[in-house]
Amino acid sequence: MILLVLGLLLAGGGVELILPKNGLRNILLISIALIHLICVASFWFHLPLDAISGFLGLDLFGLIILSILSLLFFAVSVYSAGYVGNEKGRSNRIFTACLLFLFFSMTLVTVSQHLGLFWVAVAFTTLMSAPLINFHHRPQALEATWKYLVIGSVGIALALLGTFFLAISAIQIKSLVLSEVLSHADLLSIPWLKVGVIFLVVGYGTKMGLVPMHGWKPATYGEAPGPVGALLAGGVTNCAFLAFLRISQVCHAANQTEFLRPILLALGILSIAWASLSMLGQVDFNRLLAYSSIEHMGILILGLGLGGIGIYGSLFHAVNNAFSKGLIFLVSGNLFQQYHTKRIRDIQGVLRALPFTGGFLIVSFLAVTGIPPFGTFFSEFIILKAALNDHNYGIAFCYLLFLSVVFIAMASIILRMAKGLPEDATMENPQKEPLITTIPALFLAAIALLLGLCVPPFLDHVLRQSSALLGS
Amino acid sequence: MMTSIWLDMALAVIVILAICLLGTSRLGSIVALFAFQSSILAAVPFLLGGEIGIHKLVITIGTLLVKVIFIPYMLLWAVRHVSIRRDSPGILGVSTSLLLGGLLIALSFFLSSKLVLSGKTFSGLLIPSAFSTLFIGFLLLISRTKAITQVVGYLVMENGIFLFALLLFETTPLLVELGIFLDIFVGVFVMGIIMNHIQNEFDHMDTSQLKSLKE
Repeated sequence: MILLVLGLLLAGGGVELILPKNGLRNILLISIALIHLICVASFWFHLPLDAISGFLGLDLFGLIILSILSLLFFAVSVYSAGYVGNEKGRSNRIFTACLLFLFFSMTLVTVSQHLGLFWVAVAFTTLMSAPLINFHHRPQALEATWKYLVIGSVGIALALLGTFFLAISAIQIKSLVLSEVLSHADLLSIPWLKVGVIFLVVGYGTKMGLVPMHGWKPATYGEAPGPVGALLAGGVTNCAFLAFLRISQVCHAANQTEFLRPILLALGILSIAWASLSMLGQVDFNRLLAYSSIEHMGILILGLGLGGIGIYGSLFHAVNNAFSKGLIFLVSGNLFQQYHTKRIRDIQGVLRALPFTGGFLIVSFLAVTGIPPFGTFFSEFIILKAALNDHNYGIAFCYLLFLSVVFIAMASIILRMAKGLPEDATMENPQKEPLITTIPALFLAAIALLLGLCVPPFLDHVLRQSSALLGS
Repeated sequence: MMTSIWLDMALAVIVILAICLLGTSRLGSIVALFAFQSSILAAVPFLLGGEIGIHKLVITIGTLLVKVIFIPYMLLWAVRHVSIRRDSPGILGVSTSLLLGGLLIALSFFLSSKLVLSGKTFSGLLIPSAFSTLFIGFLLLISRTKAITQVVGYLVMENGIFLFALLLFETTPLLVELGIFLDIFVGVFVMGIIMNHIQNEFDHMDTSQLKSLKE
């Protein structure tokens, strides 16, 4: 079943390269996304069997991340059909093919049970997203892509080294299949494990965009087209988060949690602090979103480092963050196509010119900053509670302080964009907004809201079970 | 004992070539030095001793095809299409970067004395030379400004990682190694395309000119 899904995505990407018309390619893209969604839904009833001698398999962590990816990709695939359609005279051949290849590699990340294969899949996500970032072919986009490739490749090389160190540490187990490493964790050589963990944290932390390895993120998110930004911020970062979950699993099994925790806490707080301060006085909307993404990655890592109910909160936040970030990037795509700029100063009166996009802008702002009743509020609250349970009052204080800085920074920027009159006189009256770019945004907004109003019992059950795997 | 001497010699040559890379600024020589280093690297699996299996053959032939023939050919093709033949010494001068290279090698020996390996090590030089190659590659990557030199720096880093992988010959399944080859291959391919775009857009390949996104 897993092989079937992976094969479908790979073949789909290949066919996209051959199909002659934009319309046909869009239909194929959306239908593959839909089939993927149905398959993933079936996995919730019945976890698929392992394939290729335990290399591929789906555990609870994988299932959570895979479901997020599938829902997000479905929304993005519909949206990007409309987005590329608005760019007159552009062929979407490379774009749709790369989207599917990227989706293939992200799916592979979630189902890899072998840590080496896992690395291969993560490396592929970097390579396959590079052409997507360069979609607009502006010189700045090229610069962003170059930065992304170089920093991303170095990060990925360090993660490979970490994987090797882990393998050297597991030399007596003679396998890097996760279940075998976990069940024979007492055979791991601890010094090599520690070096390995440090390299893995730096490597995958680069991929996730944690401070101080975040250099590529503002440039890349600043230049990526809206739908690609949504996939990067909601999907690829979650793949990197899965890497952190795997590292925690290994450390937990080898009784090295106390070694990992301070590293995660430091990275988490540093990311939240740096991102929130950089958001003040930001002039570019997409860069603002990039820093917001860094902040949320910091929250995820902080929750993981706190342990206890923090792990539940962190997993729940991964779900919430993916949809709220996806939504706000789709909004940014709409704004860019209407205003042809990303400068905050030049975008005004969104509510008047584009009523739907303006509405979504406000909704996504509330969802991203964690205002009730959105799910992000509850997951951020659980992480705060974990810090207080742990008597980490210093961390709790910094966490609250920087989250309020984020709220103030985003509120002042986004509310100014939404209100007022558009500078361009032709935009005075409400513009026509195509359904194809508003419905995916509505879909993501609905999920983000639903997660806050009531957590579906099946999701709650799986989140509880999976956080128990890390000993909470 | 015969194999061990040859192995140590090969490892030493690999590190010396990395040092040479630090001191070179002609783009053509940089690519040639890298190809030479990779060709020695390709021979290392056979110098480790033990039987010659299909596993070793695949690794060696793969390295030869990708790192000695394909990638250098592509990079040389890129060099021919750029008007500039030389890399500026970068943000560090030649002497400073050579000195730093020496320090990094010392650091590598220090690090590997701290990490003891329980299994088979083949040679006492394997881990230090792997660390040295890795660090020097990283130094090249961050200190140079030309796109081609940065790509070579990245590839030298990969060579260092390859030496670590040799420690795991018996335990890592072939599939993963193939995946790693594929990644390097595709990675350089994509970098090549982007490099070509940089060339067209800016009419040069100096990434230090790419700074409009600085804050």
